[in-house]
Amino acid sequence: MVKTADKIEEEIRAIFSGDTPWVTIVWDDPVNLQTYVVYVFMELFGYSKARATELMLQVHNDGKAIVSTGSREEMEHDVARLHEYGLWATLQRGDQL
Amino acid sequence: MTATEGFKRHGDHSYVAHFADSEKEVLLNLCEQIIELLAERTDHGHEDPLAAMVGITSHDSPPEDEVLHRLLPNAYADSVDASEFRRYTESTLRGKKQAHAISMRIHLKSSDDGIVDLDHDNANAWLGAINDIRLALGVRLKVGENSNEHLEILSPDDPLRGVYAVYTWLGWLQETLLSALIDDADEDEESQLGNS
Repeated sequence: MVKTADKIEEEIRAIFSGDTPWVTIVWDDPVNLQTYVVYVFMELFGYSKARATELMLQVHNDGKAIVSTGSREEMEHDVARLHEYGLWATLQRGDQL
Repeated sequence: MTATEGFKRHGDHSYVAHFADSEKEVLLNLCEQIIELLAERTDHGHEDPLAAMVGITSHDSPPEDEVLHRLLPNAYADSVDASEFRRYTESTLRGKKQAHAISMRIHLKSSDDGIVDLDHDNANAWLGAINDIRLALGVRLKVGENSNEHLEILSPDDPLRGVYAVYTWLGWLQETLLSALIDDADEDEESQLGNS
């Protein structure tokens, strides 16, 4: 019985902490060329030109777009790569959008 | 010497541009400046050599300089998280940006005839470096989202007018390299679709 209780507790903890998805957000920037933003999305995330263009337009029109989703570590990695190529990116918890 | 026509695709994954001497000078000069600017942000005397070795820097707040701030932005809106992330990653980011500019400088310096021939990875380094230079110039020029009227009406003797001309030219140069790269990527995408 104790074991089962522990398992449930563990499960609940996982639901409330570790498994919350994080997101990477790219913000609009007046300097970066549209073509450049499309290329960086294709190159870093392996997105098709169509998908990359759609995200670029979302950044341009709405001021920001979610470009990737995953664990906190994965999103920190994505943000670091976007910063390397000069895009303005941040990460945050997906449930705090 | 005629002005460059920008980058052209030369076979698969090879991108070639021919620069006039004066253009090469301008590009080299800009590379030097971005390398120097990033070097100004040194990891001032970290007391723990082990921390320094694994890239932990003493910087936990963003640079005060507006240009450096744009090149090394916060990764989190929350300032505590942003500081923590910066401490562990800023030095790596600076290193990568410097590497892009150094790679561009090496290509230019080693080209006697002004011809630069880049493979895919080199092209990415050039794109990153050109973009950092444009970001730096863009901050100084106060480039805005909708209107750059203040830049269009600069008087001929205003030094910023020349800076704006360089900024515009770099955008055009970057665009020629991008269109060559995206052409290539399109073909790869098509051939992958054909194979599947």
